Amino acid sequence: MKRLLLIVLMSSTLVSVLFAAGAQEEAASEGPVTIQLGISTREVGAAMPELLKSFEAANPNIKVEWNKVPGVPNDQHTLYVTNMMAQSEQPDVMAVDVVWPGEFIANGWAEPLNEYFSDSDLEGYLDGMMNSVTLDGKAYGVPLYTNAIHFFYRKDLLDKYGLEKPDTWEELIESAMFITEKEQNPDLNGYISMWAQIEGLFMNYLQFMWGAGGQFFDTKGNPSVNTPEAVKALETMVDMIYKYNVAPESILTYKPNDAMALFRQGRAVFMVVQDFVWPMLNEADSPVKGKVVMDRVPYFEGHSDANTVCMGGWILTLNPYSEHKAEAAELIRHLTSTESGIVLGTKSGCMPAVKGMEENAELISAYPIAETLYKDFSVGDVRPSAQAGKNYPELSHIMQKEIHAALLQKKSPAQAMADAQKALDELLQ
Amino acid sequence: MNEIARRKMFGLFLVLPAFLFVFLVLFLPAANTIIKSFTEFSPMNLQQNDFVGLKNYQKIFGNEEFMDSFFNTLHFAGVSVFFELILGLVLALILNKALAFRGVIRTAILFPWVLPTALNAIIWRWLFNTDFGFFNSFMKSFGLISRNINWLGEVSLAMNSMIWVAVWKTSSFIALILLTGLQSINDELYEAASIDGASGFQKIKSITLPLLIPSILLALLFRSMDALRSFELPFALTQGGPGGATQTLSLFGYRQFFQFLKFDQGAAVSVVQFLFILVLGLIYIRVLKGERDT
Repeated sequence: MKRLLLIVLMSSTLVSVLFAAGAQEEAASEGPVTIQLGISTREVGAAMPELLKSFEAANPNIKVEWNKVPGVPNDQHTLYVTNMMAQSEQPDVMAVDVVWPGEFIANGWAEPLNEYFSDSDLEGYLDGMMNSVTLDGKAYGVPLYTNAIHFFYRKDLLDKYGLEKPDTWEELIESAMFITEKEQNPDLNGYISMWAQIEGLFMNYLQFMWGAGGQFFDTKGNPSVNTPEAVKALETMVDMIYKYNVAPESILTYKPNDAMALFRQGRAVFMVVQDFVWPMLNEADSPVKGKVVMDRVPYFEGHSDANTVCMGGWILTLNPYSEHKAEAAELIRHLTSTESGIVLGTKSGCMPAVKGMEENAELISAYPIAETLYKDFSVGDVRPSAQAGKNYPELSHIMQKEIHAALLQKKSPAQAMADAQKALDELLQ
Repeated sequence: MNEIARRKMFGLFLVLPAFLFVFLVLFLPAANTIIKSFTEFSPMNLQQNDFVGLKNYQKIFGNEEFMDSFFNTLHFAGVSVFFELILGLVLALILNKALAFRGVIRTAILFPWVLPTALNAIIWRWLFNTDFGFFNSFMKSFGLISRNINWLGEVSLAMNSMIWVAVWKTSSFIALILLTGLQSINDELYEAASIDGASGFQKIKSITLPLLIPSILLALLFRSMDALRSFELPFALTQGGPGGATQTLSLFGYRQFFQFLKFDQGAAVSVVQFLFILVLGLIYIRVLKGERDT
């Protein structure tokens, strides 16, 4: 019995030693280099095989292994964090959510790309997306594709009452009140969005705040939410529910898909959610098919220059523990090129984060709504994740909690923002 | 070595793999969690592992959200277990009596308990939906309400809605435990009571309930321990909203661990929760033992 145990122990030790030796040998040998790409199939799955094939054809000495990581962003985050904590050399290239780079940069989990990309290369990507990966003049990643929160409205209802598309929140509230009163339909809501206590709530709040001329971080890099602009943004949201009655109270439980379902049933005039709902609103059996227009998110009167489209998307970063950094940077360059972007856009509907795509005839003819999407991206910005670094998840949680408290009328908007400021100062001190 | 000692050794050897397994996946992580709760520890910096005494505990007890979650958990566990017990008792009495379609009825009553909690919560989220959920449209069609009720979006209602889901799901579990207790009661007692002219209610009061107390305590022990660490239900039903009204201790601890990566404070939350449940469990077991001895 003892002997058996000994054999098992010894053989398992031997196997692990052999594996380690094998791995080292592979690193040292000449010939094709294999690099690993971590990206899920969720959004870009349809385009990826073609992109990897064209990369390998152009770079015969580099093989790419596609690590199909889980589709749920939180699971991916856990996976990458675990790998980085263990200083794993894989994956060499990681696709990360636009709000993670701050945390990755702060922990040294993303390699600066300036050595591999020239300044003019980096200027070719959308500015809003580059903000999320740039710290102290260094670029720690480049955007692969982008999406955003847009404004959707029922053109047929506006036309019926001779109203123009609202540019400002003031006009939106007025039009929503007017239409819901005239329609006399108790099931019709003026405004719908995703105001459950989720990330989307914070994103929609930022759009109100930017639209009032506010910025989350002041010029000195300190959080500034106890400002007239930040309070005005929250006050408007509260008033939309309780004073103007344009948003239903149930909006406080709504996630993007819930809002989309209500809007698709023809039960809301205006909606602000992510662009992924567009195909669903235009399906053959959709009651609002052909009646919906997508546009940029409104701003407050006097702030037409504000960026109000909150952008998301995915970034490619280079693993600092990678043993093949130059080859991995080549893969990043290939995947984020204009040619690859066209494949991404037409095959998977993911909009490449490269400048000039709004005029790319090949993409626009294959995917017409892309023209609107890019127009909106040009007035877009990202969440303040690069500045918040590893504290971003908690920053977002504090904001969600305080915004929700005001929307539930547990606190006044001014009190909520004062409390948020205090908590943020403590967090980021 | 004599025969007995040899057999003992062999027995220990056979138990060893199971013991190792439990030790590695249960005791070691648990001990590690307790140790980590007294250190400053974050996955961002594995080298840093300084002993900080009760600092993490001070931090979480100073956190308003932790205290709210604590009382939410007590509220949820107390109210839901109370109603589950009453409903479970009624179900058990029906199960014990029902002669026709006995199998069908038993299966039907056990059905909610068999559904996974997360799936269950998602189904209920749709049923509760304010604008196109079943409850509101049902009550509206019968003219019971004129305005949609915001089941999961109102602070005063959300917790009750969550308790309702828990009661719906786990009453049958309590019923199952009580049923085994009921079946161990000797029929002769009821026959004797009938001969003495006792009514049905008197029989329940004087025979069934007193003899059922050990089973009731056992059911309470299982269910309250379970309810006090409730995670999937609030996670899938409300995500702790609105405004933290349904955030339980487990959900709060999960946020510290996996969203904010504050492993040290998350560990402290787990330890507090563990101690609380432990004390409660010990009280139950003591009472249960006292019951048995009398």
